[in-house]
Amino acid sequence: MTPTLATFMRALLTPESSFATLAGLRAVAGSDGLPVLRRTTRFVEAEILLHDARWLLSMPLNAAAAARIERTASRLGRMRAPWLAPYRLLPAELRWSDAAGTQHTADLVLQALPAGIGFAEALRSEPAERLLAALDTLENELREAGVAHNNLKAENLCWSGGRLLPLRYHDAAFGAGHDADATAFEALRESVAPRTSAPLEMHDVAADYDALPAELTGHLWASHTFEGLICVEDETGYGFVDTHNRTVIPARFRWAGDFREGRAEVETDTGMGLIDRTGAYILPPEYEIVDYDPAESRIRVRRDGKWATFDYTGRRLTPFA
Amino acid sequence: MNYTQSITRAHRTAFVLLLDGSGSMAETIRFRDRETTKAEAVAAITNDLLFELIERARRYDGVRDYYDIAVLGYAGADEVRSLLDADRDLIPVTELATIRPAVRTETVEHRLPDGSIALREIPAPAWVEPRAAGQTPMCEALRRARDLVAAWCARPEHAESFPPVVFNITDGEATDCDEAELRAVAAQIRAQRTTDGHVLLVNMHIAADGSGRTVFLPCEEEAAACPNRYAKLLWECSSELPAAFEAAAREAKGPGALPPFRGMSFNASAAELVTMLNIGSVSVKTE
Repeated sequence: MTPTLATFMRALLTPESSFATLAGLRAVAGSDGLPVLRRTTRFVEAEILLHDARWLLSMPLNAAAAARIERTASRLGRMRAPWLAPYRLLPAELRWSDAAGTQHTADLVLQALPAGIGFAEALRSEPAERLLAALDTLENELREAGVAHNNLKAENLCWSGGRLLPLRYHDAAFGAGHDADATAFEALRESVAPRTSAPLEMHDVAADYDALPAELTGHLWASHTFEGLICVEDETGYGFVDTHNRTVIPARFRWAGDFREGRAEVETDTGMGLIDRTGAYILPPEYEIVDYDPAESRIRVRRDGKWATFDYTGRRLTPFA
Repeated sequence: MNYTQSITRAHRTAFVLLLDGSGSMAETIRFRDRETTKAEAVAAITNDLLFELIERARRYDGVRDYYDIAVLGYAGADEVRSLLDADRDLIPVTELATIRPAVRTETVEHRLPDGSIALREIPAPAWVEPRAAGQTPMCEALRRARDLVAAWCARPEHAESFPPVVFNITDGEATDCDEAELRAVAAQIRAQRTTDGHVLLVNMHIAADGSGRTVFLPCEEEAAACPNRYAKLLWECSSELPAAFEAAAREAKGPGALPPFRGMSFNASAAELVTMLNIGSVSVKTE
């Protein structure tokens, strides 16, 4: 169970008794004196002032989001890059009591807010060429670092020191070959320099291959084609369709990853698991974290805070420890 | 029916809050480690719930139309009235979010580094005010809620939605019915349904029992152990917590807690129940 938003707000108003290390924080408040909260489906965040610097303090709103930031912070913590604003996991930072008075703690994430302006404001103040060049630079840097931000949009970019810095890395993915940001970068470029409706011209060049077929409609979201299957989000959850948009694995998961070497990580209400291309479980959805490494054909699994390794067929290789 | 439907603009749901505002709510109880009236406790719980519901529907582009909300107060002689809008019971959360609530001052205790306790006043949004006057027409309020959720569930666009949740915040001392009638109307509420599940009836029982203890999502033994004479009745009237929420409930209650649990709390909020719902769809790819 995660704390309520009201609990988070009260903690921001009583930091000295609510936080383990952030007792001196001051939350940015509205005219009513209440901290200004921002929400996504999986996180709530507040801007705070601490040691004369601005930070974003985020609280995950479900177990899957909490597990995600643990991994993200760990990976980012090992990276050093000028475009990477510090992102730190604060374990057991929030102390709170549930309805029955039982004491709990919750992990939070602290991210430095660089001095600068938002992307929307930069659109009004900076020349388009400069912003387009900054987008190119950032895209190259992310690609070279093997990082996909995965939620890149205007609200998550800061114009600082003549360049763009990404914020809110909660959903970052790591490893070469990620192209999850390509569409986002295109949308951002479009917002900088909208295409004009120039007369249609014909050129004798080959068009770029687009893995997304034109008929892939009717979904809230669609990934790209991996191993002939496309992960899609429908109202009922995540599932998979083929390149003709025919359902292969019904959208019954709370979340699903792309197929890699015939396996995909999934999450249901009961936990994370691993499925094959028919949708059958290789590992049942009962774990806190399922981390499949296709290069090694090994699956790292966490249950009750302990880790074990499984092979490609779902056989456990090491005990939980 | 498995209570797994995400709450989205395409699959909206409804929350109905019933507030006991009768004269008995002027009694003093211990709530959140402080002496206060039952009416103050009811108002605090309700305002927390409304804050939770509005903020959970908020995104970068504003509050999204995820659900309808009704807040009905019951007091006096069979008086049940909407506290949000005099002309309507259910209003969309997008509309509720445009109401600028009063900001009250709430006094909280906090422990200083030397171990001593200090009081501190913090702002808290308040859509409803404490109220304590007259009789307790709880049965009539439950009938109104029954009719509301029945009409809501009957609308074709709600057929596949997560079912409505009815929160009844009371000291349990109904004056307009006997226990059998109360059980009957509670059962009628719980019988309403969408394809995703039956309507959930959650009773938040605010009462003096001298021990200062609180209970959240009790199993039968916990309800039986409560000395208050109305606790068992309200427990029987409350919905059994669906299996989809059992893992979260067991985590909340700690090791050793065994289902089935009922949607009920004693001298405590049940706002944590809202944290167990899937409100909004995940719009980003997380791997």
